[in-house]
Amino acid sequence: MAAKDSPLKQFEISTISNIEVAGYNLSFTNSSFAMLITVLIITLFLTLTVNTRSIIPSRMQLISELMYNFIAQLLSDTVGDNGKKYFPFVFSLFMFVLIGNMIGMIPYQFTFTSHIIVTFGLAAVVFIGVTILGFLNHGIKFFSFFVIPGVPFYMHPLLIPIEVISYLSRPISLSVRLFANMLAGHTLLKVFAGFVVTMPFFTGAFPLAFIVALTGLEILIAFLQAYVFAILTCLYINDAYHLH
Amino acid sequence: MNYKNKKLEELNKKIDSLSTKKNNLKNNSKDMGAGFGFKISTEIIAALIVGVGIGLIVDNYFNTKPIGLIIFFIFGAFAGFLNVYRVMRRIEKQR
Repeated sequence: MAAKDSPLKQFEISTISNIEVAGYNLSFTNSSFAMLITVLIITLFLTLTVNTRSIIPSRMQLISELMYNFIAQLLSDTVGDNGKKYFPFVFSLFMFVLIGNMIGMIPYQFTFTSHIIVTFGLAAVVFIGVTILGFLNHGIKFFSFFVIPGVPFYMHPLLIPIEVISYLSRPISLSVRLFANMLAGHTLLKVFAGFVVTMPFFTGAFPLAFIVALTGLEILIAFLQAYVFAILTCLYINDAYHLH
Repeated sequence: MNYKNKKLEELNKKIDSLSTKKNNLKNNSKDMGAGFGFKISTEIIAALIVGVGIGLIVDNYFNTKPIGLIIFFIFGAFAGFLNVYRVMRRIEKQR
């Protein structure tokens, strides 16, 4: 199969306008374009729908309030009273990933969450932020996070490296989960779309029916992964407050 | 008056049935097979990546090829299992 028909073609980055600053390639690509559209959609949708501020909300206002409540509830469930401060951060993270995934579900659109550098960037922000938060709250005592209480002292040389590796693996597992789900789903869709064209006679209808079902599942996964990203961020923030 | 009460009762019933339906839906849609597998596998893989990474860095720094890699690979594997254990415990708690 020629490279132009590859199921991985959809993940290719193409430059829209070339920008170079101090030897670094900062070009505006189709990925940045998708992110820009995502931010625009979120901003416009949220500001326009809650603009009227009616006591009896319209349907669109209800959607915005539902999203707000969803994340506010999540934060108060996992972090408690301390969590209110972090609502803007978690909410924008959730909306960015959610709308980014949803835009990717529109045919011919680019899915920026299917690139590990994007998801790893988001996860690294969460990880570094949470680590700083832990040090701000507990100072040097934050290192006791890696020491499991009630363990005999001669086990510590073995357990502390394991705990540290487990802590360092957080941003990787956070980013890989989102990236792998999006990459696998979109590749699968394209592979089955290829079957529709190449199978003889009317048998192409079967993969087509499968694609329809798979698209529904993908939309569910798109939402679920944004939710998972948000809930894990909440859990990490909680860890920064309550060691163990 | 009687007529109004009847209507209210009907509305109450409707709300009740809808809310139980919503709760049932919530419980059923949790933990699908593939998503669950992804969750567990990424935990192990991420810990292994970090373990191997640290092992390679240590080897590069102290010229101890391949001892650092072996040791930290094993640490990474243990950390992976620790992650999986924590995820499972969190899921059990939710139930």
